[in-house]
Amino acid sequence: MNENKSLETRVLTEIVVFAALSAVLYAIRPYTLPYGGSVTLGSMVPVMWLSMRRGVRVGLLAGVIFGVLALFIDILFLGAASIIASPIQVILEYPVAFGVLGLAGIFHRKTVGFAEAGVAISIFIKFLIHFLVGAFIWVYVYEFPPEWGQFLWPAIYNGSFLLVEYIVSAILIAILVKRGTLEYAL
Amino acid sequence: MSVFDGLKFRRVYSPIHNLDPRIKFIYVCAIFVIAIMFGELLPLIVLFIMQIPFVLLAGVKREWLRSMRGAVFLATIIFLTNFIFAYLGARGLGESLENAVAMTLRFIVLIESFSIFFLTTSPDHLGLALEQTRVPYEFTFAFTTAVRFVPVLAEEAQTIMDAQKARGLELERGNFLKRIRNYIPILIPLIVSAIRRSLELAEAMESRAWGATKNRTNLYELKMHKGDFVLIAVTIGILAAAIYIRLYLPIPSINQLLTSIS
Repeated sequence: MNENKSLETRVLTEIVVFAALSAVLYAIRPYTLPYGGSVTLGSMVPVMWLSMRRGVRVGLLAGVIFGVLALFIDILFLGAASIIASPIQVILEYPVAFGVLGLAGIFHRKTVGFAEAGVAISIFIKFLIHFLVGAFIWVYVYEFPPEWGQFLWPAIYNGSFLLVEYIVSAILIAILVKRGTLEYAL
Repeated sequence: MSVFDGLKFRRVYSPIHNLDPRIKFIYVCAIFVIAIMFGELLPLIVLFIMQIPFVLLAGVKREWLRSMRGAVFLATIIFLTNFIFAYLGARGLGESLENAVAMTLRFIVLIESFSIFFLTTSPDHLGLALEQTRVPYEFTFAFTTAVRFVPVLAEEAQTIMDAQKARGLELERGNFLKRIRNYIPILIPLIVSAIRRSLELAEAMESRAWGATKNRTNLYELKMHKGDFVLIAVTIGILAAAIYIRLYLPIPSINQLLTSIS
């Protein structure tokens, strides 16, 4: 956070509420893979939407908080056992990987095209993080079928649910942006 | 929505819950390092047994067992792959069995120590610890408040879903695309009400002079108690013992022990 300028109260409370909203959607999930990968009902949408509305810095903060909440929710759902392999892995796969969702608002333009590009970029970076953690940390915990090599399995595992998640988020964000909800104010 | 009840953290008092989260975190990291250091079965059994008093003291036996049950599948896979590859690699049955058990147990020890940390640390406590390690207060505030808002918003999401269903919205009909579009009438009211809530929260905070003073003080402060010092001593002791054993003592395998007895 910037030292010279602290956040406006209004913006801070939006971060709080939208991170919590993302966490709620994260917990309502129709389908969960073992070990924490899951397809949710567009749980990334509120954080990405906030990032487009208020800028990347706000989005990143909301994303990191969403990540910590998601960690607690996953522990409640699946037990700490199946999602945690090491301290670095937890930090990378929760606060960092969810934090990058805040990059969705990177283009500062509130049009459908730029919003979609932001969604694609942020989810792709999230995929990269999960993929690298899978290839370099999870391999030591979980022996992948050796003939598949180190990289194929995490690519398939993370790619499968993030692709569905991306399609859902892209459609929802497109409709939300088109309807002009980004400018919504009371 | 029973899972959200889990997020309504109760304040639990136990010797372990009252420990400073920072110290607990260091302890967990120490156990982690030690588990990585040893590949032999005997020290891993000792490490595994050492965690059990913590679980009993904290009174989280049920939650701990549930989280262990979640690991059974992964543990089975680790056991089988290790066993089969060692056995095919023309090692003896006893040796490959011991190796496989050791790898499985290492995995269990790793996750066990982390479960204990998260099971015995409430988000409130974590927030307090973050604040006193000089994480910017805005972040800690946002985190602890967001935790409180999750059950509230979950209830609201349920209400909105019920209301839209009552008006004829069919969530479980149509193909994939149609289902996603059906979701919009739920998402937009949720976003609107979230913005409304954030405004109310901001007004409440500013009316109570949020951000008016630079230096905040806390009603509760994390202080090091006797238990924290004990845990530090235990951590240093275990770590020193582990390094000493690793460097200077040969570790017998269970197989060797069995043959030397008989």
